[in-house]
Amino acid sequence: MTGKDILKITLNLVIVYLIGGLILAFVYAKTSPIMFQNNKIAKEKALKELMPEADKIEKAGDWTIHEKPAEYFAAKKGDEVIGYVVQSFGKGYSSYIDILIAVDKGFKVQKINILHHAETPGLGDEIETVSFKGQFKDKDIEHLKVLKTDTTEFIQAISGATISSRAVTEDAVKKGVEFLIKTIKEGGAGNAGHKQS
Amino acid sequence: MPDTNKVNYWKLITNGIVKENTIFRLALSLCPSIAVTNNLKNGVLMGSAVLFVQVMVNITISLMRKVIHPKIRLPIFMLVISGWVTITDMTMAAAVPDVYKQMGLYIQLIVAFASILARAEMFASKNKFAPSMADGIGFGAGFLFALTVISFFRELLGRGSLWGMPIIHAKPLLIMIMPAGGFFAVGILMAAFNWFDAKYLGKGARASHYSH
Repeated sequence: MTGKDILKITLNLVIVYLIGGLILAFVYAKTSPIMFQNNKIAKEKALKELMPEADKIEKAGDWTIHEKPAEYFAAKKGDEVIGYVVQSFGKGYSSYIDILIAVDKGFKVQKINILHHAETPGLGDEIETVSFKGQFKDKDIEHLKVLKTDTTEFIQAISGATISSRAVTEDAVKKGVEFLIKTIKEGGAGNAGHKQS
Repeated sequence: MPDTNKVNYWKLITNGIVKENTIFRLALSLCPSIAVTNNLKNGVLMGSAVLFVQVMVNITISLMRKVIHPKIRLPIFMLVISGWVTITDMTMAAAVPDVYKQMGLYIQLIVAFASILARAEMFASKNKFAPSMADGIGFGAGFLFALTVISFFRELLGRGSLWGMPIIHAKPLLIMIMPAGGFFAVGILMAAFNWFDAKYLGKGARASHYSH
């Protein structure tokens, strides 16, 4: 390799990587605000879908699970609190599953919504199906348990994805509801209002 | 066909789909062919993303082929591939968030696909713009075809449904959507593809392929 070669190689790499970096920076600058906006809209929409009868969903505070920051909300109709929404994480097969859980005043689960996960496509990602998520309706904390057999009383595991099913049910949802009960029933944080302007 | 140019392009495209099909013939990129084919939708979406990246990478490499020093061509190919994958990833996340929510898991995997690097090295770095594009379309379409066929059978047998819609109302063969079933499906379909090709399409061309 001659000196000329080395010079050419250096120039080649510098120019190509510089141009590549610039193009990526440009695309990122153009797309990231849209992505941020999309995520915000998606979260607001998810909150609304969880509690369609509420006309106001206010943030009530923060908590942490699996060392990840999460939020919880109080859903109000007029001035009356009709339920709560809590964000929670469950340790799945290949990712942390990010979930929003809506409960009524008696802390029975109303609905869950999977915000983000990276479980195995075709197996673990079945947690997003309506047939799995629908099972959570009206389950209280004692019935948040995964069984591998046919059940309507408890949560039936997705065949081939027991770990993901458990992560959603016994990790994320159960811990989220437990936290809500502890904080709101005993601490009274939610009832106190946490008035936000 | 009278126009010899057109015949060549057609040949380039069918070459990637049949004669040198990435998965059934070259047995490259077998990892995604097993990992993301347990339902039809995943297979088709992944195949389409690969088709797009393959064509764009081939075009870019072909345009750059004269200025790249041969000693450092591989790092440059990798940059071009990962660049296009990242651009696709970010653009889709911004433009079509609903589709991205389903495909986002796979797009970044394309960076590591042997098939894309292989075409950049074997074809695009030695050929002009138009043939490189045709080659990219051929190999991308071949990949899409293979993933579609594999995921079609895996979802049908393993879940009794297609594109999420129930078709067969019986207890499905769960193993077909597990990793082991991926090997079964790829192996059996590869054999079927070769048998069909040898019997109906091939003209002894395969002999030279496997003789060495």
